[in-house]
Amino acid sequence: MMTDRRTFLHSCSVLAVGALLPAPMRTVAPMHCMHAGPLGPHPTPRQGITAAKVLSKDDLSHDPALIPLFDGVREIPEIIDGIRCNCGCASAPGMYSLLSCYEGAAMAQYCPICQGQGRLATRLHKQGKSLDDIRVAVDAQFGG
Amino acid sequence: MLTFTSLLSLPVPSQAQIRASEVGSISQVIDGTKLTITYSRPRSRGRAKLFGTSAAHWGETWTPGANWATTLEVSKPVTINGREVAVGKYSVWMILKETGDWTTVLDPEFHRFHMEPPDSAARQIRFPVKIDQAPSVDVLTWSFPELTISGGTIAMQWGTTRATMKFSVQPSLQVTLAEAEARPYLGRYQYTAMTGRDSGKVSAFVVSYENGTMKGEYDPTVDWMGRFALIRVAPDVFVPGLYDSKGELYEVLRPDMIITFTRVNGRPMTFEERWEDDTLGASGKRLP
Repeated sequence: MMTDRRTFLHSCSVLAVGALLPAPMRTVAPMHCMHAGPLGPHPTPRQGITAAKVLSKDDLSHDPALIPLFDGVREIPEIIDGIRCNCGCASAPGMYSLLSCYEGAAMAQYCPICQGQGRLATRLHKQGKSLDDIRVAVDAQFGG
Repeated sequence: MLTFTSLLSLPVPSQAQIRASEVGSISQVIDGTKLTITYSRPRSRGRAKLFGTSAAHWGETWTPGANWATTLEVSKPVTINGREVAVGKYSVWMILKETGDWTTVLDPEFHRFHMEPPDSAARQIRFPVKIDQAPSVDVLTWSFPELTISGGTIAMQWGTTRATMKFSVQPSLQVTLAEAEARPYLGRYQYTAMTGRDSGKVSAFVVSYENGTMKGEYDPTVDWMGRFALIRVAPDVFVPGLYDSKGELYEVLRPDMIITFTRVNGRPMTFEERWEDDTLGASGKRLP
């Protein structure tokens, strides 16, 4: 709970123009896409998937606070690849799973949904939860 | 957060054409259901009277638009004026009457020219629609003037004549909870903020039950949240639903905030409050 609504909902901004902001401002005005269509099922993790394309700390120098999150995702690509991204980017070309949000242009650098799902998944995995358990938790919070 | 309106990308002819009735579109998302109305928009062009004239005569099965028939597309089943409308795209027609309700006709054959209204068919969806008078608009306009978390009003207006229809969508969440299921959670919890400027601050969180719904409230109360619904999204996992001044639910803070209880010997004893980015916002511990 936060004492004022504006502050709390700040992280829920849906201003797509946020994507156009210079990187340092993105952390001030986070954005995520708006999902309007059906989300579909969670993807099946691809056999032999690796974290080779997940951004490294060198790629995240503009926002070092994200390094632990990306490092956590890098440790469990076979889990993250079995989770659907709920922010709407899943329907974009080349996107397969939440793991895609941490690769290349890496929407997770700016999107609180991608970040939240990644943190939730890595936290629950550390607690010993299975992929199915994590999917249930993702659906509970982000919608199924 | 539950709602979003936008003009859609519209088909643009390869050669620009100036039309008396330019194409327009409006869409509305409610709780994950998208309704889209696409139509050509006739202008009054100085005509003082529109209905009961050659523009739209009484008794006519008229498409509320121009050129190709107005279409309505729904992404999930909806109910309009009490009639179920399945997923799909429909041409929209209205049977005009000088007095009393008009009849709306949704026909699954959606690509029809306005001069070719459909014959009556079993596949059609028909329902009466209320007509009233409103301050004049020059261009025929479809809109969604009223919205709730589960539906709203669709309006079509041209000149001073307005047709309005109530619609509802399938809710994605069940707000109510049986009292027996809510009872174990009820009580007062110590609430400790874990982040932000209030980090470490201790207050209280009260879980109660009224009108078939589990409720949460901070003590001292937080003005913008008040006493809110605790809506179950998984076993022991809840999201807050906020009420307006009329007691109507208007927003569900999902995924913005999620409250997860942990049980000890079967009884919810502690909880974690996390935010969209999984930040631990606060923790709670049942008070004796």
